[in-house]
Amino acid sequence: MSERVYEIIFIADPNLGEPEVEALGAQVQGFVEKEGGTIQKREMWGKKRLAYVVGRHREGSYVLIVASGPGALVKEVERRLKVTDGIFRFLTVRVDEELRKAERRKAKRALADSKRKPRPGAPAPREQEVQQ
Amino acid sequence: MSSQSPNGEGRTFGRPRGSGGGSGGGARGGAGGRDGEKGKDGGKRFFFRRRKVCKFCADKIDYVDYKDVKLISQFVPERGKILPRRMFGTCAEHQRKLTEAINRARHIALLPYAAE
Repeated sequence: MSERVYEIIFIADPNLGEPEVEALGAQVQGFVEKEGGTIQKREMWGKKRLAYVVGRHREGSYVLIVASGPGALVKEVERRLKVTDGIFRFLTVRVDEELRKAERRKAKRALADSKRKPRPGAPAPREQEVQQ
Repeated sequence: MSSQSPNGEGRTFGRPRGSGGGSGGGARGGAGGRDGEKGKDGGKRFFFRRRKVCKFCADKIDYVDYKDVKLISQFVPERGKILPRRMFGTCAEHQRKLTEAINRARHIALLPYAAE
């Protein structure tokens, strides 16, 4: 089976220090690697205010891990996330299909744009808004 | 008529008896007149509404990312609800993706389920 790409995002206890959160991230990476997945990216977002109270937390440390691997990995990783102390919320999203679709669409549009001749006297093409 | 006028107000709905009905009819007549006015006005008034364009289509955003709170929160009012697409003019496809992204963002507490 082909590799799937997942985004695993979890919220850790805000009382933990940065090295501890880092360690949690490494631990989760360990879960993924044990199930035959490979890590593509890890992002520490740091402490953020939550939009609502989760349990008794008003803020939390966000960690994002992008990993690829077989689909069976998710079940085990999520089970482990559930029992890991210090993590009180997580979300796993499969992103490869969506991103591929987006990619294809972009390519298609680029092709269509290059084929289309601009009308003489047409205004300059609209600048794409800068995303940051 | 005069004996029934005290309870005339309590009987605005319902059409009980002859004379009472008459007074009720009068009230309704007044309301009808107002409606007529409005109708006449509405017929002549010209509503010019700018055509809404799907922001995602215009900006060529193919993947609505749930992590992009800045983008998504533009489509979530203070109250935290997801509004129907007639409010923002998003196309069906992007509204679907937006909804998905909002729900994901809600789960990981990036967006509220409801205002506090």
